[in-house]
Amino acid sequence: MPPLASVAPRAALVRDWRGWPASFATLWRRSLRFRTLLATLALTSVAVLVTCGAMALAIQNNLWEARKDQALDDAQRAVTDVQKTLASAEVQGDRAALQRLMRNALGSVSSSTMIATFRIDDSPSDVAPSDFFLGGLSKDLLSDQLVKRVSDSPEQQWWQPFAIAGPDGQQHAGIVVGHQITIPEAGAYGLYIAYDLADTEQTLLLVQSSLWVAGTILVGIIGVIAWFAVRSVVLPIVEASETSARFAEGDFAVRLPVRGEDELATLGRSFNAMADSIEAQIKELGELSMVQQRFVSDVSHELRTPLTTIRLAAEMLNDQRETFDPATARAAELLHAQVERFDTLLADLLEISRYDAGSVQLEKEPTSLAHLAEELVDEMTPLAANHDTELRFVAPGGHTPVEMDPRRVRRILRNLVGNAIEHGEGNPVVVTVDSNQHAVAVGVRDAGMGMAPADAERVFDRFWRADPSRRRTIGGTGLGLSIALGDARLHGGTLGVWSEAGVGTNFVLTLPRDAAGVSGPSPIPLEPQEALADIGAVTEPIPLATAPRRLPSDAAADGDRGEGAERGDDRGEERG
Amino acid sequence: MTSRILVVDDDTALAEMIGIVLRTEGFEPVFCADGAKAVEEWRAQRPDLVLLDLMLPGMDGIEICTRIRSESGVPIIMLTARSDTADVVRGLEVGADDYIVKPFNPKELVARIRTRLRPTPQSTTEALRIVDLVIDVDAHEVRRGSEPIALTPLEFQLLVALASKPQQVFSREMLLEQVWGYHYKADTRLVNVHVQRLRAKVELDPDNPRIVTTVRGVGYRAGSAG
Repeated sequence: MPPLASVAPRAALVRDWRGWPASFATLWRRSLRFRTLLATLALTSVAVLVTCGAMALAIQNNLWEARKDQALDDAQRAVTDVQKTLASAEVQGDRAALQRLMRNALGSVSSSTMIATFRIDDSPSDVAPSDFFLGGLSKDLLSDQLVKRVSDSPEQQWWQPFAIAGPDGQQHAGIVVGHQITIPEAGAYGLYIAYDLADTEQTLLLVQSSLWVAGTILVGIIGVIAWFAVRSVVLPIVEASETSARFAEGDFAVRLPVRGEDELATLGRSFNAMADSIEAQIKELGELSMVQQRFVSDVSHELRTPLTTIRLAAEMLNDQRETFDPATARAAELLHAQVERFDTLLADLLEISRYDAGSVQLEKEPTSLAHLAEELVDEMTPLAANHDTELRFVAPGGHTPVEMDPRRVRRILRNLVGNAIEHGEGNPVVVTVDSNQHAVAVGVRDAGMGMAPADAERVFDRFWRADPSRRRTIGGTGLGLSIALGDARLHGGTLGVWSEAGVGTNFVLTLPRDAAGVSGPSPIPLEPQEALADIGAVTEPIPLATAPRRLPSDAAADGDRGEGAERGDDRGEERG
Repeated sequence: MTSRILVVDDDTALAEMIGIVLRTEGFEPVFCADGAKAVEEWRAQRPDLVLLDLMLPGMDGIEICTRIRSESGVPIIMLTARSDTADVVRGLEVGADDYIVKPFNPKELVARIRTRLRPTPQSTTEALRIVDLVIDVDAHEVRRGSEPIALTPLEFQLLVALASKPQQVFSREMLLEQVWGYHYKADTRLVNVHVQRLRAKVELDPDNPRIVTTVRGVGYRAGSAG
């Protein structure tokens, strides 16, 4: 599907984007460092923001205020000067002279060059000089309100913020101050002086930007400091947790490095003390267990030589029991039987001690489980006949050789089949072999008295018996199933049991095809799917020669259930 | 003719009991309880077969086996208390013909001994030929050209079994039955180890065998396929 493919990258991107909150949340939850750092940065930022903001405002106000006062003073002085000059002038009736005088006076009174005057009285006058404007200040730049106020109150100074177009066309902040002056004969004029506050604005901008830069740097520095502070605390914690994990995994030699004498060093010392103690105890336990295993193994070995002698002697006596009187003959017989039993028990005990010591080695070779099971069924048939039990063998799969230790698998099966015959109460015992793509399995099922599920859980326990009073007819040491389970596990396989009182018992041994171990369900379900009477009425498996042609080769015959579809196709062809 | 059997075992009770069993079966047992004297005793007695305990004071069974094997092909059966340790393989590798695990029963012991003492079945035909080897069954002799090759009776038997049916592939189980007399599943390591020992003696290049070839997954055959 090509459209999907082309959409995929974008979809992935979108998915990534959608995943961000989730990954952020994960980071927040998982990382103390991240969380602390983020919180520190956020709080510091707020603090710096507030402080800088307050400082900037205060500075701004003060600067403005100072500059405004300065401007007002300057204007006041200018007004006074102009008034004085005008008052002392002798220009009666000469409009041009008055105009010149005013222009001269105004040109030098103020620090600002932006000056304007206009007449307030609108009564006609011959001498009243015309309105004039200096430095780009025009009447329409002044607000009506200001003009009105200045006109209305002769003694009051008025001011207003003002935007001045600078030489580069940019607007500057400014202030315009208005005041009335009185020109003799001409009446009241409004004098307006505008002050450019660009320099103040510049200063303020500089101060503010310095403040913000300083604030940002401060936040950054605090972030770095927090990072290192948190790191110095978190790193040892991470180290401690990693060390604990390794310790938990069984590496008992790991220790925490102890630096200095602070709290973290105390943590390290406590941890190390705990680790020392645990390691010592485990070592002690291990040694004890090893000593015990060695002891069992040694005892078993040491018992073997005298047992051999006893066995030889018992055997000889038993062979000659016809020549003894009946009581002695029976004694010889009992001796012989019990020595045999002792022998089996000792062998099993030795085997168990090998499992405990972990010294068992598998001798694997490719073996067909179906063939092995079939041979075993043949071998056990006489025993089954002695117990009036029918032994059936069904093998839908499991013919291809799989790596296993055939001696051990045979031993497991012998044990399972023996048990089934013993507890089967004369009902048929069915041995089933099957396989899937991961595993081969053999099931041994009887329809005997069965067990309660609680008992079934304990069948693999050593020396455990479902019913202590139950008679034993076929050997059995009480270790057989433990050994069978040990063998199955050694193969990476499983040995499961299903049992129900009054219905019967089913044991399933599952062996993996490769060393990876059993994954997925066993080819043979533990809980029986069909009534025992329905399976394997024919003892022999269907010979391959007469098997349907849908099995094109022996390889397919071993029943890889995963290839069922292919098989279906084959069958379809045949029918078509 | 009664066969003389040397029993090397430090447990006197067991040695005596084995003696009783052997005598009952018509063998003539001689004993040695000290590993260090075993080889000497063997030279003095020249028994037809040696029953050798692996764990001995003085000198261990492996060493004794090696020394005897360097002088003679006399059948050696190891008595061992362990069935699956490296000891068994080591014993076989230094030339023991068979082993029997304690505790054994007398019938098993006697059966093992009889198999090893059994004369090679008389070949009615003339010499067997396999690749460049000539096997004179009656004379118990193997030659490459004019040069005789010394084999132990067991190795000889193994070679004859394979060479008498050169077209047949023998499984390890078949060889165990024919050469060792096991009628049930036994330890196939016996076959593997002795085939290696045989190859070391008869093959020109034991790593690239031409006389006893392996058929993968099945067993062995004499000569190469086809």
